[in-house]
Amino acid sequence: MNEDIENRLRNALRRIDPPDGFTEKLLAALPGREVPARVTSLRVARPALPAGRWQRLAAPGALAASLLAAVFVGQQIGERRYANEQRAGLEASRELMQALRVTSRKLDVAYQAVHDHDAPPANVDAEESRT
Amino acid sequence: MNARIFLCVALLGLAAGPVAAQSRGQIKLPEFPSLADKASESVVVTLDQKLLGFAASWLSDKDPEEAKAKQIVNSLTGVYVRSYTFEKDYAYPKAEIDAVRRQLDAPGWSRIVEARSKHEQSDVNVFMYVEGDKAHGLAIIASEPREFTIVNIVGSIRLEDLHDLEGNFGVPKLDIETGKEAPAPKQEAPKPRKP
Repeated sequence: MNEDIENRLRNALRRIDPPDGFTEKLLAALPGREVPARVTSLRVARPALPAGRWQRLAAPGALAASLLAAVFVGQQIGERRYANEQRAGLEASRELMQALRVTSRKLDVAYQAVHDHDAPPANVDAEESRT
Repeated sequence: MNARIFLCVALLGLAAGPVAAQSRGQIKLPEFPSLADKASESVVVTLDQKLLGFAASWLSDKDPEEAKAKQIVNSLTGVYVRSYTFEKDYAYPKAEIDAVRRQLDAPGWSRIVEARSKHEQSDVNVFMYVEGDKAHGLAIIASEPREFTIVNIVGSIRLEDLHDLEGNFGVPKLDIETGKEAPAPKQEAPKPRKP
């Protein structure tokens, strides 16, 4: 009984050579294109490289450049403000002088009137009246 | 009711504000906006105390004319000028000038010079605002057929300063205070020629 079972099992598990053309059929049955492998990048801390001279000077250089730019811009703003103030001041002083000249001219007319009134009349038919 | 009273008081206050702000010796000069296009030449100067100080600070001490002006301006609180020249006769509104003239009928103002020339058809009036023994304002209204000028100088004006003002800009001195004639300019004796 036991031998029968063993024989049947051996017979079932015996090595069988593949039929002819099995390999070609198998390869033909495989998908034609390759599926790209899915890659997941991992963040890995890189070892710090030794900083070069320029890299070491970058931060102070940027700070110095910012300071210089701030000073330059401030100076420009100050100069522009002074120029505007100067222009306004000169315009105001020009207006003031013009106003004083107009005043002076009109007072001159008044002076002439008083002066002519005080002076002896040169023409009897004088048409001017001044007080 | 109380709200109405409050509103009336507030409105009165707003209306009275500009009048109160107007200092002694100052008259209200119109801007004459319609004349800017009509006039061939115009001088419109509005310098209140703040602007006067600013303008004076830019006057040169080296220029004798400007140095004198700076000295005069120190005691002033306002300089207002409206002067227009036209190419046609009487192109300016007489009514507005009369309105300015009427302001000078107010107490404190007195006319010190009135000059009318029928020949030149010119009319110059000089007014001063005097309080106590000090002049606080000067106003000039001058009109000709093709030109009219209104000047208002506000501030503590001393007659001596006025003399300086007159004499400084190439204008002879006007002896308003004393009534005496201004001294004749000194004539230099001819220098002996060298042989």
